[in-house]
Amino acid sequence: MKKFGTLVWLEHRRNWLWSLPLMGSLLFWAWGIKQVLVMDVGERLGIRAGLLAGAMTIGTVILIMMIGRIRSETRNGQYQVLLMSPPSGYTHILARFTYAAGVAFAYFIAIGFMFWWIFELAGISFDTGSLFELILAMPFYGMSVVVLPILAYVLLLMVFVSAYRISGKGWIPGVVMLLGTPIAMQWLSDWMVDILWKLPSWNVFERVPAAVFERFSQADIEATFMTATNEGGYSGIPIEPMLVMLALTAVLLVIAGRIWQEVEA
Amino acid sequence: MLARLENVTKRYVKNEGLRDLTLDFPAGEVVGMLGLNGSGKSTLLKLMAGLLCPTSGHIDVFGGRPRTNRSQIVFLGETDVLWPWMTPKDAEKFMRNLYDDFDAVRFTELLDALEVPRRKTKTMSKGERGRLRLAMALARNAKLYLLDEPLAGIDLISRERILSSIVSEWHTDETIILSTHEVAEAEGLFERAIFLREGRLALDVSAESLREGGKSVVDTFKEVLS
Repeated sequence: MKKFGTLVWLEHRRNWLWSLPLMGSLLFWAWGIKQVLVMDVGERLGIRAGLLAGAMTIGTVILIMMIGRIRSETRNGQYQVLLMSPPSGYTHILARFTYAAGVAFAYFIAIGFMFWWIFELAGISFDTGSLFELILAMPFYGMSVVVLPILAYVLLLMVFVSAYRISGKGWIPGVVMLLGTPIAMQWLSDWMVDILWKLPSWNVFERVPAAVFERFSQADIEATFMTATNEGGYSGIPIEPMLVMLALTAVLLVIAGRIWQEVEA
Repeated sequence: MLARLENVTKRYVKNEGLRDLTLDFPAGEVVGMLGLNGSGKSTLLKLMAGLLCPTSGHIDVFGGRPRTNRSQIVFLGETDVLWPWMTPKDAEKFMRNLYDDFDAVRFTELLDALEVPRRKTKTMSKGERGRLRLAMALARNAKLYLLDEPLAGIDLISRERILSSIVSEWHTDETIILSTHEVAEAEGLFERAIFLREGRLALDVSAESLREGGKSVVDTFKEVLS
């Protein structure tokens, strides 16, 4: 545990210059949200939510860049120090992943709070349970489905390319992996569609539609929710994508950890 | 036998690092790994450290593959590998928590002996960083030390400090393999000298037998490799 903690500390010392601006950027997004002053409440809410979706995307890209710094370390020779250290490849990979995932989770929790804030600005109040779902459950769900597999994939890609840096032309395995990924993802998404709703769903935001109806009682959004209700009602979100992508993340990390042992430096 | 290389060849994409090399390394030797640039010294040390895999042949260190025993080997590479934010205190934390054989007291003594300033490495000179790296390496209680050009690009005073630290820290059950171009300065350390030329073994000789024959390691270096 001491070794793992030290590697996470090392990640922090290497990357805090990236993670701090990431957190600081939230102030910029908050400022942007504050600037949106249009007459229609629904439109105002839509633009602000769009801004936050942009913030989530940019945050993910920065996280990927943060984790992708392995290449420069390979050139600088710092990789040698880590490869020679006693912790296993799995521990090294997990430490990198843990730090990046921790920063991502903090970032997306903050985004969750900002969503709460813009809903409040639109006059939609969340009860405690829904607020908890908005700032913890949804970031966890979104990260599990999108961000964590991407982080694990980037780690695997970097280690994979580094492992074949000397003994082969580095771009060949990289290109093979990049070309193979869309095919694998296509197969995975087809399979996920097949198994969707097979397990009990996760009933987050059950009480939120009531708050929305209350605020937008005369707006079109009511009709949207009414249609959804008529078609069977809101029945939560499917947990299959989350479970599949968490399993995929674990598999990618295990492969990356194993390849670490074979990396040349 | 501490380490053994048997018919080891290492081929890179465009060139060959080592060719059909067979060597034995018993415990408790200070070995000079000598050769001109590109002779395969660094490749050999990296292969022994488990940082490279041989293209063919077999390497045995501590009775197994170097990769499985990487953590028992001290490897000091020729590149400047310290993170710029790192201070000697950070380096101590890093080494103490990761390496069970790291001696923090010995590290502090080495920092003092090598006169390493207690500030971030990005504000240190190349010689100061080299001395810090050496202190990190020698503060471990390992049996095999692979030191790749620890004297390269370092001023005369620092080189003397580094060499005297290697001498004072060496224990008779430890093997040190040191590659260097500063043959004249380091030759007093060597019990054995291995000369490599274009990836092949040119000469493997004990320093004592050279001295008995009235030759120095420097003379032999010029004779064998010129």
